[in-house]
Amino acid sequence: MATPTPIITLPRLAAALPAFLAAFIWLIVMLPSPALATVNTAEQDPLDSFMWPVYRERFLGDAPVVFDERVIVSAPSFAEDSGQVPIELDARGLAANGEPITDIIAWVDLNPIPRLFHYSPMSHGLAKLSLNIRLEQASAVRVAVKQGDTWHVGGTYIEAEGGGCTTPGIAGADNDWENTFGELQGRLFATESEQRLRVRLSHPMDSGLIPSLPAFYVQSFELLDQQGQKVAALDIEASVSANPTLGLHMRPSAEGYVIGARDNNGNRFSIGLQP
Amino acid sequence: MKTRLFASIAALLSTPLAASEPVMFCERPLTAQPIAENTWMVEGLREELSTSNCGHIGNQAFIATPNGTILIDSGSSPRFGETLKTLIAQHTSHPVRWVLNTHHHPDHFFGNAAFDEAEHLTLASTRALMARDREALIDNVERLTGRSLARSHIALPDTIEAGEVTLGSYPLTLYAMRGHSGGDLVIMDHATEVLFLGDMGFYQRAAATAHSPGLQQWQEELNDLLGLNARIAVPGHGPSAPSNTVLEQTAHYLAWLDQRLGNAASEGLGANHILAVEIPDAFNTIALTEYEFTRSVMQLYPRYEARLLWGTPQ
Ligand SMILES: [Zn+2]
Repeated sequence: MATPTPIITLPRLAAALPAFLAAFIWLIVMLPSPALATVNTAEQDPLDSFMWPVYRERFLGDAPVVFDERVIVSAPSFAEDSGQVPIELDARGLAANGEPITDIIAWVDLNPIPRLFHYSPMSHGLAKLSLNIRLEQASAVRVAVKQGDTWHVGGTYIEAEGGGCTTPGIAGADNDWENTFGELQGRLFATESEQRLRVRLSHPMDSGLIPSLPAFYVQSFELLDQQGQKVAALDIEASVSANPTLGLHMRPSAEGYVIGARDNNGNRFSIGLQP
Repeated sequence: MKTRLFASIAALLSTPLAASEPVMFCERPLTAQPIAENTWMVEGLREELSTSNCGHIGNQAFIATPNGTILIDSGSSPRFGETLKTLIAQHTSHPVRWVLNTHHHPDHFFGNAAFDEAEHLTLASTRALMARDREALIDNVERLTGRSLARSHIALPDTIEAGEVTLGSYPLTLYAMRGHSGGDLVIMDHATEVLFLGDMGFYQRAAATAHSPGLQQWQEELNDLLGLNARIAVPGHGPSAPSNTVLEQTAHYLAWLDQRLGNAASEGLGANHILAVEIPDAFNTIALTEYEFTRSVMQLYPRYEARLLWGTPQ
């Protein structure tokens, strides 16, 4: 399978549109039918990134890897604020068939800290998650989902330029943690099939890459049932945005969940959410 | 009666230089469309700043008066301002004596330097935003258009207060608003019943919301402007049209956007859920809708979550 998925470019330049359409039509015409299959071998990276082999080896090791359209990674096609780029992973289509999903790893190919998170859905987490990330430059964003002994990989490409009527960096929304540090807020929305948790922790998520600012970031979230049993776990890196805001999707639980968080300085935060 | 008076002045003024050669900017002819007596607009491309449009994306308008020409907004570079000056001279022999800047975005005041013999005027609130964002805006325009600006030529205008003003002998009504950028000057010319909206109004080009203090406030102000019953409106981007048509299109889009953001925040959904919604046909014919919609979601969603989900006023 030698046809790479086209990188979605910013559809904002009218001048670029004809070329974009031409490329799109070309792809549709040239695409051999096997491309319609959901599973792809790992030989050809659909996002055609030179970092793929490096991170495949580092994060996924020797395990078998397939590119899989059932691992859906949603993101805007470009970053308006490179400090806060919303992404969403949905691999429930994969989870619906076969063995349980044990691990979900995400990374940004061209970030200085490439890894974003390692999610263990364990007994109660569904294969769906949303959060905001930092994007150093235009890059592929990857999510690898482990089912059985195989990694199923999905991804998307995000351009990294702000627009003209705006002034990047002026909003300063990332500094508002100073007055509210450690505030953990959450809401639980129950439907028949899931409990959707929206959680926000006021925290700077300093990466340590800026010389005057030592690393100070949240390292882990965990979800507990009312008996204190850990039922899902999420480890994050400083490539997650300041004031981490998570969308978690859990199996219905009559008593709801307790969410705990811990940063690299040993601060602990916790909140209980009931339906 | 007033109209008749201006009609006779118009006769006196209508002695422009023979429009000989087309005025070119960025390899395209730059044209001024007459929209009322002694009143013209220059429409920018319905695009974002780019190398291919050299930054000509915003509208300008000018009113020729017996004491000199009033220019409303000046484009995104001194170079553009120079070209605009040549174009204006093809339509009126009266030089520009006043430049009114509607707000602090670069495509509306970076051309001022070309009119250095004129008074440059804006609201105090707008001037404060220009001072705050000037450096970042220059960087941004240079990055997106791939052209360097003479930094020292991007100066701040003087201030003028909202209300009834007379420029030379020409009366205008100025309104101080905030919806689009936090400092928006809207200008009503009662003689011609033309309303100059700046970016308070977008028509056939999707609204940009990066500096809006809130979509509710913007919508309320649009409602106030509807009450003026102007005949024609000149939006900041897109063509001129009957005033209600322009105001209603901007208002409908903002109402839809406000509702999408509000609903998603109230339900605890992520930003990508909003981005996945289909854009209604009514907005799909507007230039840059998908692009501006995507930007607006990223700019505004945290505020909606703060208000509707976390209960923190913002
Ligand atoms: Zn503007």
